[in-house]
Amino acid sequence: MWEAAGAALIQLFDPFRILMLFTGMLAGGIIGMLPGLGGIGALSILLPFALKLDPFSGLALLLGATGIVYTSDTISAILFGTPTSASSGPTAIEGFAMARRGEAGRALGGAFLASMIGGLIGAVVLTLSIPIAGPLVLALGSAELLMLALVGLAYASGLVGGSPAKGLLSAALGLFLGTVGVAPSAPELRYTFGFPYLLDGFALTIVALGLFGVAEIIVMLGQGGAIAQERFKLSGWMDGVRDVVRNWRVVSMGSIIGVIFGIIPAVGATASTWIAYGQATSTAKDKSMVGKGDPRGMLAAEGANNATITTDLVPTLLFAVPGGPAAAVFLGALFVYGYFPGPRFVAQNLDLMFLIVWSSALAAIIGAAMCFAASPWIARLTRIDFGLVAAPLIAVILLGSFEAKKTVIDFVTLLGFGVIGWLMKRAQWPRAPFLVGFVLTDPIERNFWLAYQLHGWSWLKFPIVLGLIVVVAIHIFVTARRALHARKAREAAAAAAGSAPTAAVAIPNFAFNPGIALSLAALAVFGGGIWLALGYAPDSRLVPLLAAIPGLGATLLVLFHYLRAQRPEPGWPPLAEIRQIILLAACIAAIPFTGFIPALGIYLVVLLWISTRLRFWSLPYATAVTAAAWGLSRAFNIPLP
Amino acid sequence: MKQQPSRRDVLAYGAAASVAATLGPACYAQAADFFAGKTIDVIVPFAAGGAADVTTRFVAPFLTKHIPGNPNFNITNLGGGGSILGANQFEKQGKGDGLTILSTTSSSAFPYILKQKGVEYDLSSKRVAYAIAIGPVVYASPATGIQSVADLKKPKTGLVYGGIGATASDLPVLLAFELLGLDVKTVLGFQGRGPIRLAFERGETNFDFQFTSVYLTQVKPQVEAKKAVPLFTGGSSAANGKFTERDPVVKELPSTYEVFKTLNDNKEPSGAVWGAYEMASALTFEYGVTGWMPAGTPQAALDAFSVAAAKINADPDFIAKGEKVTGGYKLQDGKAIKKNVKAALTSNPEVVQYLTKFLTEKYNVKL
Repeated sequence: MWEAAGAALIQLFDPFRILMLFTGMLAGGIIGMLPGLGGIGALSILLPFALKLDPFSGLALLLGATGIVYTSDTISAILFGTPTSASSGPTAIEGFAMARRGEAGRALGGAFLASMIGGLIGAVVLTLSIPIAGPLVLALGSAELLMLALVGLAYASGLVGGSPAKGLLSAALGLFLGTVGVAPSAPELRYTFGFPYLLDGFALTIVALGLFGVAEIIVMLGQGGAIAQERFKLSGWMDGVRDVVRNWRVVSMGSIIGVIFGIIPAVGATASTWIAYGQATSTAKDKSMVGKGDPRGMLAAEGANNATITTDLVPTLLFAVPGGPAAAVFLGALFVYGYFPGPRFVAQNLDLMFLIVWSSALAAIIGAAMCFAASPWIARLTRIDFGLVAAPLIAVILLGSFEAKKTVIDFVTLLGFGVIGWLMKRAQWPRAPFLVGFVLTDPIERNFWLAYQLHGWSWLKFPIVLGLIVVVAIHIFVTARRALHARKAREAAAAAAGSAPTAAVAIPNFAFNPGIALSLAALAVFGGGIWLALGYAPDSRLVPLLAAIPGLGATLLVLFHYLRAQRPEPGWPPLAEIRQIILLAACIAAIPFTGFIPALGIYLVVLLWISTRLRFWSLPYATAVTAAAWGLSRAFNIPLP
Repeated sequence: MKQQPSRRDVLAYGAAASVAATLGPACYAQAADFFAGKTIDVIVPFAAGGAADVTTRFVAPFLTKHIPGNPNFNITNLGGGGSILGANQFEKQGKGDGLTILSTTSSSAFPYILKQKGVEYDLSSKRVAYAIAIGPVVYASPATGIQSVADLKKPKTGLVYGGIGATASDLPVLLAFELLGLDVKTVLGFQGRGPIRLAFERGETNFDFQFTSVYLTQVKPQVEAKKAVPLFTGGSSAANGKFTERDPVVKELPSTYEVFKTLNDNKEPSGAVWGAYEMASALTFEYGVTGWMPAGTPQAALDAFSVAAAKINADPDFIAKGEKVTGGYKLQDGKAIKKNVKAALTSNPEVVQYLTKFLTEKYNVKL
């Protein structure tokens, strides 16, 4: 076995193959910073080129790209708060908050190191998996996969900040919106209202880009100025390294979660990242910084996504069952090269197997270094007028969202989730549980019905299932006890201060705030959802109801709080932000009439005019950005409207 | 109906069969003018990595090499709505200039036949550029006690079959079970045929089918290890369009047609269920991945594809690689199969009615 490892290393160090590995990393690094593409985007773009090469060079090209995509997306997430893929969401939350605090260097240093460790752990597991992964994959049936998803959901509920009701509401909303489209277990369409666009539900990229990317940009454009009030301190990167050393357990746990979800077939990096984030933040003793720049959640997530993308290759190579969406493209490439992955493949092609391991490991190490070297240059962008950065950022977000289904409705959906994300941010509702719920809907629903059809209820007695039930039970118990303690402590403190916590509101002055708007919208969504679900077949209404009924309860609770407190939101309504939303909406509305490029051009001119001090320079700058967007659409073969 | 073949048809046929060396160059010159320096846009209405995508991307370089004029192929994945969105887009965009192709599977054809909501494309008006088969091989676990097709009706344990969905590529196989009168418990809702194969290996299911390329590489080792018993294939159509022939790659196994005859005292299958099986199998398996071109596409463009099909099937590189990617099926010449394809798309109303009833009543599909 070790001879094969050495032989593979020598084969990889063929100058042309190394060049291909670096080319892949360069391409993947850029693609990772652009929204909406991610690992699958990188592979589909490089695939035609890879297939023209010999198998070893082609695979080096592809693995170079996948090895860096989930490291370079960290840069966009931390410096601009834009998660370019759903799996960099946790980093966009915590890392960006750190950057705004002036700790960009610390955030980047920690995130890159955690990414590298995750990738290396993934490569090691891939190596070790050769003899043992077979039985492991076979041990995980639908019942076990269902329980793993439920463990993820339980940890996600730990993502809640101050208000458990808001967290539950957010998760329920995500879980519920995840049920839109064809039911996985029954040939029935749910909540599609006759639109073919909704047949396979909302696209994850659009949900993530809207909730986080668009929402953040709107707020920052509304506030004006630069991302960072002060120069981003990139010097503190050693602090980031120290964070990793101090939190080595968090990084390892994140990577292990990433490895598990990588080995499980058909679950991509998104689920593993959010579950690792949830696990790290919900088990943290001090939760006061969660969501406000706590490095722990970010480190776990970065370790997880890189571990997943590498170990996704375990089921791909051992069983020809793709471990995730990007691995599906990789599998296609192997077929075209004439390799058939499978139990025998590994034994017969040890050298190829090790080439894959080495390429992944090298890409993890050098990728982190490359990203690190690039970040000072990119960090300079955070000091200039945000409008200048926002213009190209919005252009690529629009292009990225159009990757989902390539119709104009993609833009409308993006705007819709952007407004939801903006309201949630304004109302201080946690957005992370929303995305976790959304990601886990399909595995939960699909595997529940498969387990039920195959085994009735006897699956509850399977040993791995029992073990995972214990894990969930312990987690809920610990979380509940901790919440109770925190509440008692608060009450004790209030009693010690000798003041009544809430004085009776004398005059009910009705104040409309984003929280009330959202609660009413959620009420309508859950109410309507329950009403429509009652008309569905039993096997397609179960999960929508399981999401909507608790969601409705949580919404009523939240609404009751708002109405009782009657606190007017400071700075509401934020007219500058609303103006930005209207502007973006106008651009999207114009696309079907003028085409994408003219609409984008005019929109950017107006945006730059009102949000920056460019004045007449807005025109050439907007033209340049629009031309670049056009070039990008040609290069990535995006058929623009 | 007898029709005098046009001069062009004769030319193309000659070239396609690659017999008439004298006629070939004439056709070549004409078609070379057509595609020289051009780029053909191919819409694959699925996300990257699926069967249609892999097959199309595999075939494209060979088409470039062998189509006179060597056009480039620009493949775009337009996934969504189970291929309906991409096919709709093709209907809107595709001009009759010979430079647009929709490369898709039965996932686009069934919604069209069943007149599902949201379908805006008219497949039967389209022209067929090429097709590649994706044949199925049905196999069982030895635990069922099934040694050969003769035991199909008396298994020792209940048969459990894992599938994706009744309107997916499972449809012809579910119709075969109905035709053969097998008692099979179907568990639908799997994410793909890969996870289904793992469920079979785990013993959660005991009756399965896989496509030929996967069968040859993944299931055959299981057969050799006595963990799977191969039973039958979907078959393929004879010259008269009837689905009575064996699968051209897995010739050692009987077709569904033969199994029916074995189980029914050599009686010929007939009626709406057989009609539905023939239609569904043709569209899902025999013409598994089909390249469609818009209605007004010039004949010269289609002729060029015919020329290429014959050459590609003789290309040793295609044969060697194709064995691994597609299982070794030939690239079918659109001209040769267009009649059968159209016949399957415009099945008689009785068959469509039966299919609708089968799906709505037995599988609770809402059409």
